[in-house]
Amino acid sequence: MSAALARPIPESRRIRVRVWELPVRIAHWCIVFSILVLAATGFYIGHPFISVSGMARDHFVMGTIKVIHFYAAIVFTLAVLSRLVWMFMGNRYARWNQFIPTSRRRLHNMYESLRFYLFIRRDPPPVIGHNALAGAAYSVIYGICLVMIGTGLAMYAPQAPVGSPMRWFAFLIPFFGGLPTARLIHHIGMWLLLAFMVHHVYSSILVSAVEHNATIESIVSGNKFVTPETLAEESEESDA
Amino acid sequence: MGNHGWLTRELKARGVSRREFVKFCASMAAILALPPPVAAKLADTIEKAEKPTLVWLEFQDCAGNTESFLRASRPTVAEIILEKISLNYHETVMAAAGHQAEDALYKTVKDHAGKYIAAVEGSIPTGADGAYCTVGGKSALQIAREVCGNAAATIAIGTCAAFGGIPAASPNPTGAVAVGDAVPGLKNLINVSACPANAENITALLVYYMTMKQWPPLDQYRRPLFAYGKLIHDNCERRAHFDAGQYVEAWGDEEHRHGYCLYKMGCKGPVTFQNCPVVRWNEGTNWPIGCGHPCVGCAEPNFWDKMTPFYRHLENIPGFAVGTNVDKVGLGLTAAVGAAFAAHGAIEIAKRKLGSGSGQSEGKKGE
Amino acid sequence: MPHVVVDPVTRIEGHLRIEAEVDGGAVRNAWSSSTMFRGIEIILKGRDPRDAWVFTQRICGVCTTVHAIASIRAVEHAIGANPPPNARILRNLIIGAQCVHDHVIHFYHLQALDWVDIVSALSADPAKAAALAQSISDWPISGRAYFTDVRKRLKDFVAGGRLGPFANAYWGHPAYKLPPEANLMAVAHYLQALDFQRQFIRIHAILGGKNPHLQSFLVGGMATPVDPDSQNSLNLGTIAELNKLVASARDFVTRVYLPDILAVASFYKDWASVGAGVGNYLSYGEYPEDDNPNPRMYLPGGFILNRDITKVQAVEPDKISEYVKHSWYDYKGGDDKSLQPFKGETIPNYTGPKPPYERLNVDQKYSWLKSPRYNDNPMEVGPLARMLVAYAHGRPARAKELIDSTLKTLGVGPQALFSTLGRIAARAIETQVIVEKMQDWVDALAENMARRDYRICDNSKWDPSTWPAECWGAGFHEAPRGSLGHWVHIKDGAIANYQCVVPSTWNAGPRDAAGKRGPYEEALIGNPVAKPDQPLEILRTVHSFDPCMACGVHVLDNERREIVRVRAV
Repeated sequence: MSAALARPIPESRRIRVRVWELPVRIAHWCIVFSILVLAATGFYIGHPFISVSGMARDHFVMGTIKVIHFYAAIVFTLAVLSRLVWMFMGNRYARWNQFIPTSRRRLHNMYESLRFYLFIRRDPPPVIGHNALAGAAYSVIYGICLVMIGTGLAMYAPQAPVGSPMRWFAFLIPFFGGLPTARLIHHIGMWLLLAFMVHHVYSSILVSAVEHNATIESIVSGNKFVTPETLAEESEESDA
Repeated sequence: MGNHGWLTRELKARGVSRREFVKFCASMAAILALPPPVAAKLADTIEKAEKPTLVWLEFQDCAGNTESFLRASRPTVAEIILEKISLNYHETVMAAAGHQAEDALYKTVKDHAGKYIAAVEGSIPTGADGAYCTVGGKSALQIAREVCGNAAATIAIGTCAAFGGIPAASPNPTGAVAVGDAVPGLKNLINVSACPANAENITALLVYYMTMKQWPPLDQYRRPLFAYGKLIHDNCERRAHFDAGQYVEAWGDEEHRHGYCLYKMGCKGPVTFQNCPVVRWNEGTNWPIGCGHPCVGCAEPNFWDKMTPFYRHLENIPGFAVGTNVDKVGLGLTAAVGAAFAAHGAIEIAKRKLGSGSGQSEGKKGE
Repeated sequence: MPHVVVDPVTRIEGHLRIEAEVDGGAVRNAWSSSTMFRGIEIILKGRDPRDAWVFTQRICGVCTTVHAIASIRAVEHAIGANPPPNARILRNLIIGAQCVHDHVIHFYHLQALDWVDIVSALSADPAKAAALAQSISDWPISGRAYFTDVRKRLKDFVAGGRLGPFANAYWGHPAYKLPPEANLMAVAHYLQALDFQRQFIRIHAILGGKNPHLQSFLVGGMATPVDPDSQNSLNLGTIAELNKLVASARDFVTRVYLPDILAVASFYKDWASVGAGVGNYLSYGEYPEDDNPNPRMYLPGGFILNRDITKVQAVEPDKISEYVKHSWYDYKGGDDKSLQPFKGETIPNYTGPKPPYERLNVDQKYSWLKSPRYNDNPMEVGPLARMLVAYAHGRPARAKELIDSTLKTLGVGPQALFSTLGRIAARAIETQVIVEKMQDWVDALAENMARRDYRICDNSKWDPSTWPAECWGAGFHEAPRGSLGHWVHIKDGAIANYQCVVPSTWNAGPRDAAGKRGPYEEALIGNPVAKPDQPLEILRTVHSFDPCMACGVHVLDNERREIVRVRAV
């Protein structure tokens, strides 16, 4: 079967499938841009490489960058949380079980995907949404996102205005082993997310190029191209 | 004046006018962040208060908190406050020694059981059956169980007593623990951390108790909110420079001489809860950041491990060499992932080019 | 033979236990034991050497500057950093202030109650006390009305029935010799010294942010910026304040502390022949006067053997080594040999009785202190050692002058210096010498400002990448209590080994492998004890050394060993 995928799917056999619904795509791009903004501003907050001269009252460089960081953090938090909610509301490709492999089929797919990435098999095993290995990796990424949100809230809580409900998140400080450790975790988390982004972009290009199934385009358009066999197989799975 | 109690008499005997005393109470009220009308009430309350009994124990300590206590400012009257507390045991200042000193301690424990306040300075070692710290042949743990266990309240003064402090720093050679961990379930345990604890905060705590007839609200590490409720960073006189983006880059540079922010020199003010910038030290003379050195975060639990290296922004990662920079590692990791995938891609392309001649067999292998 | 145990020894820093055999009204044998251990050198391993001073500083909160100074000197020596002149001057000011402050506190608040009977002061005649005070000093707070007031405060306090820290003491002991008026004067000065110490130590807050545990030291210099045109640096306003504080200290020492010592000593001249101790004295020298690698020291270094002050020799650090024969540690090569600091090893091994205990087994190991020796000689360190070495060198001239005038006033010869009383007098003389010298350092700081020399730190060695891959350094310091040395071994930017040989280890250490007593133990031999159940006289001699036990107990460790680990939250 998969041998058939070794070449671009002929136009005649190509079926357009709506894989990523609009909320998924919006959440995806919100997360992408907020991570880029958060990483850039966060890096400055950790290592203020711009120093300004003159009177302090004339500048607000760190202040501005922190404000941008906080707003981006709001976008990030809401996007991540929305996407988590959508795991229980969206279509089959957005479901939680795409991330946490529960069926034997998904486990098998995970193994086959690993073989593909390790050059053991030539072509990726056929899936429409995320392959099982990628899905499992994404669940770790969501975990990291939650840790980033948690450590961020822990560090924000003490500086939230008096009476702000955000101060309530101070309970997270001992949970993360104190503010300095929260800060360390926050830094490590940022690098893990950035490293993941590099990997993610690469694998999308790879799969897109190998399968010629518009994986890259899909996160904009929402559609992928599949063969009737793959579609049938996926439907079986969901019926079962 | 007729109904004024012992304090007025004592004050007068010591040449302190009631006006001075009310002024002192006003400044204490300021430290405690009480509204001004309370100051007047405070003066009355302290006069009517019973003379509380205090015993001060020293375990794995350096006597730094004792020395700090001796520096309590608002001189004359603070001393009277100290005198007004019957300090029945304190090894560093008491006249008696040896078994006469021990008698003073155990007599207090017996005669004032459940009523006295126990102050503890220093951590408690649990290793070597307690032989890492003994007083009069008894281990610190045995003494703490008996003395703190029978106290109305236990005040852990300084970071060692409050959180284990330097003896508990990795690898904790003596198995040192905080008072609260050595003797679980203590009544009214209050941690007054910092290395050493600021005398102003110790005094303020006692005045709070005598005025409000209860112990103050505490944070999650059992520290009084009036002294530990806010980050140093949020009260720092150099904060404007932080927000502006103006930082000290080298010791003695122009920025350093003009009081710019010490953040890049490793200042731990942004992660430390203390009122140093407000009450300052030694009669309000100065504080570490005021004299050009970064905060080391001494009021926080495990600061010897969490805040070190002191001159870096981030703590050491356990298991890595000192000064390993997580951001350098992170950048390296990201670059390595990029390089790995570039290599992966190159191999993939190469295989595909080679494979175009024998696509069938490869495809079969894929099955 | 009555066996006397004094534990806790109070009015000292830390945990000290003295066991003594008393016979015929005098001590026949004595053992000094330190009963607390933290292991700070173990904790230092693997850490950034630039952080080390913050850690070692916490060895002691009373001599709160000394381990920081020794540590930065050791690391600077190892990595080759050269602190600029401002740093040297600021450090001298801080060290000097520590010395003056510590000595005043020690005399009035830690030691005086061994000599001064507070209860006897109640019966003093204020008029006579005023006359006495005015006869020994022109200190203005000495009128009849003042002493009347002090006596009343004291009476009210005693009448209150809650003696607090003054309860259970040896009041009325026959060894108290002062007339009631002298006792009253001393009590008054006890209270004045409390105020003085609090106000004077603001000098440390100005230069170090806070006291205790100043926070302005740096490897390579100081963190306190110097700039006459900035409000965020030490400027001429600061100089004015330093001038004022130094002048007030000089006033107090010259007109209260030193006259009090002379007055009290004149009643206790018999103590000039008690408590001599080992008779060997050591000083590393202190207060560098220039910025050379081996600077000239204002108080010169050297050592004296067998009380022979005609022969003072230069100290060779290689000859310092430590025994653990009677200390709760093991050496791999056996406990009969001593080890030099750089080659030192320590494996804590508590073999004493399980607490609670009544008696230590003094034939075996009995202390957490090691026994440092110089060329196998036990050495006494501290103000007496420094003043004797200075006296032998004949410089600084002021020290010699003050020693001679003190001996003349008391009508005793130089031999009287080798005693409990000599130790107390030397401490006061040193305070006077240093408090006078402090003004020079303030002036030197102002001159540097005028020259617009703003350098405070050798930034060229700040980055660990500029350091050799492996290096060793030793830092020496004369702390108020005596000679302090730190040894550090740095590898790949981290501490590979750290060791301190500390004044109270020199003085309070136990016997060595040859059975030679440490200075405390030796000084106690023959010490009178009128009432074994009230060993006041033992306290006199022990206190004359100004014990600081937290400093003394330390360990370095070349072994990874099993230790109990308990996590503290």
